[in-house]
Amino acid sequence: MRHLLKLSFFSLLALLSISSCDKDDPDVVDPPELITTVNVTLTPSIGGAAVNLSFQDLDGDGGDDPIVSGGTLSANTNYVGTIDLLNESVSPTESITEEIEEEDEDHQFFFNSDIADINILYNDQDDNSQPVGLSFIMDTGAEATGNMTITLRHEPNKSGEGVAAGEIANAGGETDIEVTFPIDVE
Amino acid sequence: MAQECALTVRGQVLDEVSGSPLSYANVYIQETQIGTITDDDGGFILSNVCPGHYHIIISHIGCASEKFHFDIEQDTSLSILLTHTPTELGTVVIAGTKDDYGKQASSAISRSKIEDNSHKNLSGLLENETGVHLLKNGNGIAKPVVHGLYGNRLMILNNGILQSGQQWGNDHSPEIDPFAADKITVLKGASVVEIGGANVGSIVLIEPKRIEREPHLHGQVNYIFESNGRGNTLNVRLGKYSENIAWRVNGTLKKYGDRRSANYFLNNTGVEEANIAVQLEKTINDRLFVDFYASTFNTTLGILRGSQIGNLTDLQSALSKDVPFYTESDFSYAIEAPKQKVSHHLLKAKAKYFIAEDQWVEVQTAGQVNDRKEFDIRRSGRTSIPSLSLFQCNINTKLSYKNTVNKRYHWKVGFQNVVTDNSNNPETGILPLIPDYLAWQNGIFGKIRYQKAQFILDFGARYDYNRQTVLAISTTIPREIIRYENAFHNTSGVLAINRSLGTKQSLAYSLGFSMRNPGINELYSQGLHQGVSGIEEGDTDLSMERALKNTLEYTFVPNSNVAINLLGYHQYFNDYIFLNPQEEIRLTIRGAFPVFRYEQTNAAIYGVDLSTQFTLHPTMLLVFKYSYLKGQDLSNDLPLVFMPPNRLFGSFTYRLNTLKGLKRFKLENPEIELTNRYVWRQGNLSASQDFVEAPGAYNLLGLKCSADLITQALKIRCFIKADNVLNTRYRDYLNRQRYFADDLGFSLITGINVKF
Repeated sequence: MRHLLKLSFFSLLALLSISSCDKDDPDVVDPPELITTVNVTLTPSIGGAAVNLSFQDLDGDGGDDPIVSGGTLSANTNYVGTIDLLNESVSPTESITEEIEEEDEDHQFFFNSDIADINILYNDQDDNSQPVGLSFIMDTGAEATGNMTITLRHEPNKSGEGVAAGEIANAGGETDIEVTFPIDVE
Repeated sequence: MAQECALTVRGQVLDEVSGSPLSYANVYIQETQIGTITDDDGGFILSNVCPGHYHIIISHIGCASEKFHFDIEQDTSLSILLTHTPTELGTVVIAGTKDDYGKQASSAISRSKIEDNSHKNLSGLLENETGVHLLKNGNGIAKPVVHGLYGNRLMILNNGILQSGQQWGNDHSPEIDPFAADKITVLKGASVVEIGGANVGSIVLIEPKRIEREPHLHGQVNYIFESNGRGNTLNVRLGKYSENIAWRVNGTLKKYGDRRSANYFLNNTGVEEANIAVQLEKTINDRLFVDFYASTFNTTLGILRGSQIGNLTDLQSALSKDVPFYTESDFSYAIEAPKQKVSHHLLKAKAKYFIAEDQWVEVQTAGQVNDRKEFDIRRSGRTSIPSLSLFQCNINTKLSYKNTVNKRYHWKVGFQNVVTDNSNNPETGILPLIPDYLAWQNGIFGKIRYQKAQFILDFGARYDYNRQTVLAISTTIPREIIRYENAFHNTSGVLAINRSLGTKQSLAYSLGFSMRNPGINELYSQGLHQGVSGIEEGDTDLSMERALKNTLEYTFVPNSNVAINLLGYHQYFNDYIFLNPQEEIRLTIRGAFPVFRYEQTNAAIYGVDLSTQFTLHPTMLLVFKYSYLKGQDLSNDLPLVFMPPNRLFGSFTYRLNTLKGLKRFKLENPEIELTNRYVWRQGNLSASQDFVEAPGAYNLLGLKCSADLITQALKIRCFIKADNVLNTRYRDYLNRQRYFADDLGFSLITGINVKF
């Protein structure tokens, strides 16, 4: 009995001393997978200055709000578009575009605009001859003001109905990017 | 010789609850293969028995069959109590170890039910108990909900030890192998002071019983095959008692592939599991008893591929699909991301010293390790890196002393210390949803019982001092470590009164008050909760949640053929912490996400549990169980979300009370059971509280045939059953997978259990 009491007393003492221990600071991880920045460059095929659209959220979800900048396009013009994705939260900045290029059969961009007169066609293909969308052709029509939404889906069903033509409805997959840019067509 | 084999065993089989005799019970001596059926007075006579060691098996409709070891040297008279009603019915019969938790409303699952359902997880076993529901994510992941409470508010005690780990997560199942248990009890009364933690009321107890005082090696092998998921479950249990040491080992292996709904496969919903538990008991002398328990539980759980989605747009498109994305026409055992890989290890030692017969001191210490990794679909080969990786250590020590003043009074006091160390593994490359922390709790409790003839009064109180050191990472750049130091004073108390009204009726009332400090997830969650496609934010200013629970239970057992139990309960919460959807939609690079923030309100959850059991005829048993529950946010005058819908369960059992003597063995108790479960639609929900409206009511029909074969050395039980016989298409409100896919379709399950 005395033994037992002694034992329990010491085990409690040991526990209490553990309790007073401190906890080490956690490692702050640099999220390598994070996409902080979407840069869209629209170059007029007839020459002239390129239009840049960008979306930047350096601290990821939460924290500060993202910074979005749209652009002004010329009416009835043909543009060559490219998309560049970056992780600027790490140093040096990492290119996510390269990751997408490596896994292009698992990714596809979709373009939607509430301006009816904007027409977008894919200008690249993955190894299965399906569109990716890192490069695209865009035709503007009459003057208008509105938005353009660019969506990147991971593991979409590229053979789904209308998906290869850029229709998102049957694509499935999960959204890696969904950003909306204000657009002026003048 | 002939003379020696002329001994007679007489006896009577009685219902432990009502004390009334049980007629038509089978009484059988395994070694001699002599058996009989009890008469109207529960009596039996077995004659021409030789002296020796025997095992006697007693079974009765609606009871778990019991097996006893006994030695016979002369004519013997036995009085056998069968726990007839409580196995099927929640009554206030609490004996033996349950004494620790006072007398209160409960439902219990017996060993035989555990054996017949060992292909299910812990929560699955509790599915039809009144007042108990399941919060699921697919079918591999399920956690029990008792009287509408789960997670941080529901305590799960495995072997007397509070289960630690990531219990806060709605998609985290308790990591416990039910096969290692002999009894699972759901206590539904007011708070229990002996258990620390946020014990607002209900407790699930998972208990192995003491190792049988049997000098021979005994064991069992259990194998179950289930057609839906092509699942295999193998359990083995071995045990032996000797003067020196008693031991028992339990092991489980499980492998399931893709489950199937009524019309299509649910791809990537397989389960793999491997568990082992070792139990040792030693009697040092007639005063000092020690026991030791070690278990390891390891599982990999697949999550429906079509349920991993990105933002709100993805959710909307998933909701509009009849058949989920990624559904394939082929079955597979493969488990890919999204999946969970969880290990839980427990080591426990307990010593109990009897100072006198009714006076003892007990010290118990347990260590638990919980390692949880969750894998999502990720880019660039990162799918093999977990996106959530949490490691938790927990040490729980309790010292208690019990003294009996006289026949009427006994009391108990104790001290408890719990330390929890929780860390995120940085391998994920993702900012953690919940921060690293160290929490410790020091509690003292005391309770007293007054007992007089037909009256029992329990009173208990507890105080805890809780401290948390939390190390969070800032949401803004540059990333900084923010350190929080919290301290909480929690008090709780319980008062319970039991009154027998004659021999046939009893009334029990309990009142419990408890305080729960906000959990780490409620204070500090930040970020995207992939499972719910929402951003969850904790609030560091949350204050203590207070709960008051009242229960009133009425039990009516007029004879051994009828038992009725009615439990009403009301739980009032002051500063109830809940996840409230915000008006704000958060813009991220992945699009728009709804924001959910932990907030506080005043709330009430109340309901009624009704259980009835009727023995219509010695061969026929009818059971009805009904659960009604309503949860309301009183401050905002809104329903509470994730409240279980109402449910009616019924079963009809037909058992042939015959011992069919075949050549080498006897066929005992062939039985057919028809079950039906009706779940109402959760109508108490406002449209703004969910992405879609609650799924409709459903009805599931089940059928089971079983029989026991008894030979001189073995008892073999075989069963075949069908779940969802009509292949009904349904979705359940508490299953998160309902947003994406239908619930399980038809399934055929066959099992064999060999005991030796």
